[in-house]
Amino acid sequence: MIDQTIEDTIIAVSTPPGYGGIGIVRLSGRDSLKIAKSLFRPKKRISRVPPGRAVLGNLVNLESNEVFDEAYLLYFPAPHSYTREDVVEISCHGSPVVMEEAVRLGIKAGARHARAGEFTLRAYLKGRIDIIQAEAVDDLIRAGTVETARRVFGQLDGKLSKKIGEFRAGVIDILAQIEAAIEFPDDRLFVTPERIINSLEKMIVLMDDLMASYDVGKALIEGVTLAIAGKTNVGKSTLFNAILEDERAIVTPYPGTTRDYLKEKIKIKDVYFNLVDMAGLGKAGSSVEREGIKRGKRIASLAEGLLILLDASRPAGSEDLALLEEFRSKNVLILFNKIDLGRKMDITKIKERFGQLPSLEISALRGTNLGRLKKKIYEIFSPKIENRENVIFHMRQKLLLEDVLKHLKKGRDLLIKGHTEEICAEEIRKTLLFLSQLTGEIRADDVIESIFGRFCVGK
Amino acid sequence: MKTTAAEAYDVVVVGAGHAGCEAAAAACAMGLSACLVTIHLETIAQMSCNPAIGGVAKGHLVREIDALGGIMGRLADETGIQFRLLNRSRGGAVQAPRAQCDKAIYRLTMKKWLEDIPNLTVFQGIVTDLLVENGKAKGIVTLDGHTIRGKAVLLTPGTFLNGLIHIGLKSYPAGRANEPAAPELSENLKRLGLKTFRLKTGTPMRLDKHSIDWSEFEPQPGDDAPVPFSFRTKKRLENKVVCYAGYTNERTHEVIRKNLDKSPLYSGRITGVGTRYCPSIEDKVVKFPHHSRHQFFLEPEGLETSEIYVNGLSSSLPYETQKSILRTIPGLDQAKILRPAYGIEYDAVSPIQLRPTLETRLIDNLYLAGQINGTSGYEEAAAQGLMAGINAALKTGKKAPFVLRRDEAYIGVLVDDLISKGVEEPYRLFTSRAEYRLRLRIDNADVRLTGYGHDFGLIGDDDFHAFHEKKERVRNVIYYLEKKKIAQVDKEKISLKDYLKKPEIHFENMLEYGKIPEVLTDEEVRHVEAEIKYEGYLKKQEKEVAKILKIDGLKIPEKLDFKKIHGLTREAVEKMDKQKPRTIRDMKKIPGLTPSDVFCVYVYLNARNKKKAPGDNVPRGTIENG
Repeated sequence: MIDQTIEDTIIAVSTPPGYGGIGIVRLSGRDSLKIAKSLFRPKKRISRVPPGRAVLGNLVNLESNEVFDEAYLLYFPAPHSYTREDVVEISCHGSPVVMEEAVRLGIKAGARHARAGEFTLRAYLKGRIDIIQAEAVDDLIRAGTVETARRVFGQLDGKLSKKIGEFRAGVIDILAQIEAAIEFPDDRLFVTPERIINSLEKMIVLMDDLMASYDVGKALIEGVTLAIAGKTNVGKSTLFNAILEDERAIVTPYPGTTRDYLKEKIKIKDVYFNLVDMAGLGKAGSSVEREGIKRGKRIASLAEGLLILLDASRPAGSEDLALLEEFRSKNVLILFNKIDLGRKMDITKIKERFGQLPSLEISALRGTNLGRLKKKIYEIFSPKIENRENVIFHMRQKLLLEDVLKHLKKGRDLLIKGHTEEICAEEIRKTLLFLSQLTGEIRADDVIESIFGRFCVGK
Repeated sequence: MKTTAAEAYDVVVVGAGHAGCEAAAAACAMGLSACLVTIHLETIAQMSCNPAIGGVAKGHLVREIDALGGIMGRLADETGIQFRLLNRSRGGAVQAPRAQCDKAIYRLTMKKWLEDIPNLTVFQGIVTDLLVENGKAKGIVTLDGHTIRGKAVLLTPGTFLNGLIHIGLKSYPAGRANEPAAPELSENLKRLGLKTFRLKTGTPMRLDKHSIDWSEFEPQPGDDAPVPFSFRTKKRLENKVVCYAGYTNERTHEVIRKNLDKSPLYSGRITGVGTRYCPSIEDKVVKFPHHSRHQFFLEPEGLETSEIYVNGLSSSLPYETQKSILRTIPGLDQAKILRPAYGIEYDAVSPIQLRPTLETRLIDNLYLAGQINGTSGYEEAAAQGLMAGINAALKTGKKAPFVLRRDEAYIGVLVDDLISKGVEEPYRLFTSRAEYRLRLRIDNADVRLTGYGHDFGLIGDDDFHAFHEKKERVRNVIYYLEKKKIAQVDKEKISLKDYLKKPEIHFENMLEYGKIPEVLTDEEVRHVEAEIKYEGYLKKQEKEVAKILKIDGLKIPEKLDFKKIHGLTREAVEKMDKQKPRTIRDMKKIPGLTPSDVFCVYVYLNARNKKKAPGDNVPRGTIENG
């Protein structure tokens, strides 16, 4: 992962792939400016490139003397740059052709193409950012929405680091109590196992709370998964397509399509939703159908929200009721579909029976109430983030916090079972190790490899 | 003992405190000749402060000193007048012995033991200067112009190095009450280039036992079955005295608050940094204003003296204020002060200037041990003295140095902390400073260290043989407990060993299930219990240690250009160029390098080794010592 080539000057397109308004090509390393000058010609003659100030010029292929784009050049001399090395950013038009040409010329002039995550790796190694911040940078690139960006910026400021720091301090405090009791047995410190169990309990509650925020974080980054459930022929696919149709402009194809279900990403206001259309969950005839239903139910139970679709033009069947009964404890929106065909279903009775579940009458085919549906989806399923100061975004962060929790709980349980304090202390000490891994203070190279391995090139 | 001071020895030890005595005795036992120079022959091994040896972590150190063949454990057993095993209610890893000792007998016995060592000369004199030739220590010069040469010089001057006693706003140079300080030596060490700094400590008043109303205090008797420090102590230990516990009160604190202007500490006269672990009573009152009382202990200084040490009332307030303080405490209101409490400032040498052998980096063959390295405590001093003495002897004999690892001994933790982190306040050892606390126990100190002691000749063949017999007995018993299965109500059979892992079960419960194949001493029972109760943790930690040893052993190629290593700061590169570490372990010992520097080098070496062997994911660093 890291070797002598870390001294090279690297270059890469640092905006996401595809067409965009503006594209940025970034260089980092000691020859950044020299290499940039070989493909960039300022419009006005300047004696030297001023640090941190945009210089207008042209991108030029010196061999053919061809100008291929107009661009701005920004120069950040070390250590006042993202990587703490000399960095040059060239902002040009976001055409892949233009940017690729710039990178090609840069490589010809002596740069090396950056590997995945290499800019951030350099920033990390130079002490510019801690691991949580490094992960936040990755999210910033991916974040499509305002709310996400705000969260991520919060994390860049070290907000989560601060929270983790607080936990760390709390755990240290508990450990200090235990250690004091061990080191000074003659002083009457009144640190009883009961008191330690109590403090541990409080810490565990706080930690559980932070863990719960993982779901919010996941939703912000990956989107909320909504499954459309219902027996066959209630209009699931029609609804799926109707919502997609309406959102076509901002829908991106999601690479999760399988034989069993269709998955598409839509955006309502500032939140992404992954809409899943799957096989009907009614009575199964063949064994193939049974298998499909089994899988469908698993998807339904894993989804963060369910749209349960009923055919209002027919009386409610036992399958409809069974489905509602099975998932009533989940986050559900009942949709009475096909109202254009008349209401044969006793909607009032169902509403009474499942009173706590919100519902809406629609016609997927005619597009009736689709606007209200989206509004409801947003209201019901978008992550509730008002009171969340800190959101755990990453699986790695979650796993480490799980380790912390595991050892805190084990420490508590050991004391409850009557084991002595120094054994409990072993568990608590472990949590410190994990907490500091969260803020990158204890660096194990496998941690770093896993982080930087998943980074896109050139951030 | 030789009667005249010969001019040249293998080793010259300056200071006959707890560090100096261990150092000189160890060097002599390893076949060297030594001269032990002290200001006052009557105060050899003086316990300048409390009349006790051991305690949590400190008792661990004494056990380790003993397992290596040092003196302190045997001497504490010999002169102890009350014995306690602390933390009895907790597990074996944090249990530790402590003994009240008879100070006078301790001193005299040590003096006698030293005098009995044939190649050791004890000499009275004030050392003023160091002989240094070509960057190597060659001997010392005394105040009367006497020169004593040595192949190695060990400095263990305690608080005598530029000592300054404070009582109230009065202060005067002294190394200890009524003993002269050694200011010239300190100046000369600075002149030679060693960086020094100022520390502060203190000692409480001693009271006349006849003037105390003992009925006001709570007795603290010794243990029914005293546990010795030394693995080699065979005699039954006896409790001969009782200590007492008492409390200060709001009136006491009022007196202290009113007189803070007379405190050298709070009036700014003391500039040295004091210890948080053993604060003066005025410190406690100021720092914990919400505490309505502070505990103290009344401890006899010996059997043949009336002096009572007031543990917990250390102070540098004026004598008159000390008297007023006592007046507020029921039971001490008539107490007569025989020796006033005082504070003392002294010079210490910043220990990051030391090698892991306690030899200075600046001057070859010069070793420092004890308070000069910023530590506090008799036990910390003795441990360093022993290590410095062993290493001076090894170097003189051109043998490999002896350095204990952090996972191996508290002594390793102590020395490593000193040389790699340095000291800002007097350093005291705690069990929590050890990463692998469950491994570093009093019951296995011999398992960990006696092999070394025997190799150096500090542990005799008989004692080593006895140690092996003990190991054999313990092994047999553990094997028996593993094999013996017992029935449980409604559950599967389990081995006695697993049964013993339950918190409420102890070794004595094993006797209910049949005859144990060996008769174990209490000491061995504690060992077996700890090994079994901690088994899961010990196995895991063993693996962790093995992993660290593997990383530490990664070799750094000689011709490596450190500038090429990404992420290394310029200072780090400079330090690496100068010190030329051969392994990650060497690198970790270079003062001023941070863990992230070590990390960068590790990542670099790993990547480099991987590159050399494409397709092979196993790090292929050359491994040293397995």
